[in-house]
Amino acid sequence: MLKSLTLTTITSLILLAGPAHANDTARDPQVALMAAACANCHGTDGKLAGSIPAIAGRPAVALESQLLAFKQGEIPNTTVMDRIARGYTDDELKALAHYFANIPRN
Amino acid sequence: MSSRDSKFPRIATSRRDLLKVFGAGTALAATAGCAGTPFISRGSAGRVVVVGGGFGGATAAKYLKRGNPALEVTLVEPNATFYTCPFSNLHLAGERAMSGIAHNYEELKQVYGVRVIHTRAEDVDPVAKTVKLGNGNTLSYDKLVLSPGIDIRWDALEGYDQAAAEHAPHAWQAGDQTRLLRRQLEAMEDGGTFILSAPANPFRCPPGPYERASLIAHYLGKHKPRSKVLILDAKDNFSKQGLFMQGWRENHGDRIEWVGLSGDGKVVRVDAAKREVVTEFGTVHKASVLNVVPPQKAGLIAHRAGVTDASGWVPVNPQTFESQRVKDIYVVGDATVAAPMPKSGFAANAQGKVAAAAIVAELDGRSLPKPYWANTCYSLITPDYGISVAAVYKLNEEGQIYAVPGSDGVSALDAPLVTRRLEAEYAVGWYNAISQDTWGTVL
Repeated sequence: MLKSLTLTTITSLILLAGPAHANDTARDPQVALMAAACANCHGTDGKLAGSIPAIAGRPAVALESQLLAFKQGEIPNTTVMDRIARGYTDDELKALAHYFANIPRN
Repeated sequence: MSSRDSKFPRIATSRRDLLKVFGAGTALAATAGCAGTPFISRGSAGRVVVVGGGFGGATAAKYLKRGNPALEVTLVEPNATFYTCPFSNLHLAGERAMSGIAHNYEELKQVYGVRVIHTRAEDVDPVAKTVKLGNGNTLSYDKLVLSPGIDIRWDALEGYDQAAAEHAPHAWQAGDQTRLLRRQLEAMEDGGTFILSAPANPFRCPPGPYERASLIAHYLGKHKPRSKVLILDAKDNFSKQGLFMQGWRENHGDRIEWVGLSGDGKVVRVDAAKREVVTEFGTVHKASVLNVVPPQKAGLIAHRAGVTDASGWVPVNPQTFESQRVKDIYVVGDATVAAPMPKSGFAANAQGKVAAAAIVAELDGRSLPKPYWANTCYSLITPDYGISVAAVYKLNEEGQIYAVPGSDGVSALDAPLVTRRLEAEYAVGWYNAISQDTWGTVL
């Protein structure tokens, strides 16, 4: 009990510690590896803008809802993103959205 | 490189010799010294050597340093400039300069602190954990990543050897071979026939021969309109076949003819000087320009390291891309057996990241992350008409790679022209992004 309380406290402190730590959370190696393949079209850390848009630093809610819409085939004239989005569970898409939202765009 | 009967006696000899000369302690220091870096004592983050600076190797080196900047990462690659096979077909069509498919190692060196050595990796000693270099030096490693790409099987197609490739280029490794084939196409007379001989599976870039035929047909249509393209194929089915055939009809009329295995399309003999090929049932075809995409195997260093199997390719542990045969050697890219992932630059990049993440975790004593891979291969039927195949890959409960159902598939056959145009634009966007991600190239 004491142990789990301590853990909770530490976790809360980490979460409250601000943007630097939020960024560390986004750097979780597991999510980073899942997100790494996105760079092949969106550039390292999702920062490259071109005919394919940058995804870094966009609001998590916007990214998540767009990924879900791709997955459900709701976006007309989609080329590959409907197929790619179907490769992930809804939870995975949410994690990806948060990962890229936490990366500064510059 | 000398041949040898067994690798273990040789290793024993070389280690014994080293010990004789230096004594055990200094032998270690001397080997580390050859790496040009200060001796790293136990407790360092670890030494990783990456062999091959293509999509797989350059990506692995970068993502190793991103994963743990304290790692000592050395990349061994013979060429200071790397030319990609992706988009080399645009060069063949006169639509992109060679500088538009050229990449270097400046980002790896300057931004990520990777040590880059431009020489060939000649041999691997998996017991001493060293790599022998063409410049005479030896590198020690804790983990070794091989991204050797493909070698041509020069003994697999009668008449097709290195000398023959100077007359009938394969252009399946980009660079001088690409330039040679382009010169031949420019010199080709109007009314001539370009013949492409396509191999049986598996080979690098499954849609590649058909994109090449498409873009060369595009060039001929513009500049030598009486000319034809003939594909002679050792198989009856190929990647994105329905989309290619539809795209050929829509864009190239009857300029491209494809002859599959059961139509006597398998080339069994090449006379490169005469630019003639003979198929299985004895039909002789004469080309104005002859492009032989020959049978392939894993690049040489994979064979030297003992990680290949009887197929000539490299079986790997899917979770980490560590060799199934030799501990602490990871192999990524076209050299591996990673089906259902294709032998593509995209897949090599994704595999490089999985291997890098596994190595970073292992050297740090953390548990392995769950791997994820993806692939998207665009093909251009003209510079403005693109098609794609894509998939996301995960590990199943048996530890095998599978394509997630619903994610794997090709562009819709009934898609409107606007989609084909968009996919051609995204093909360029993809090339720019993967070039930036792999080499830091700004195109």
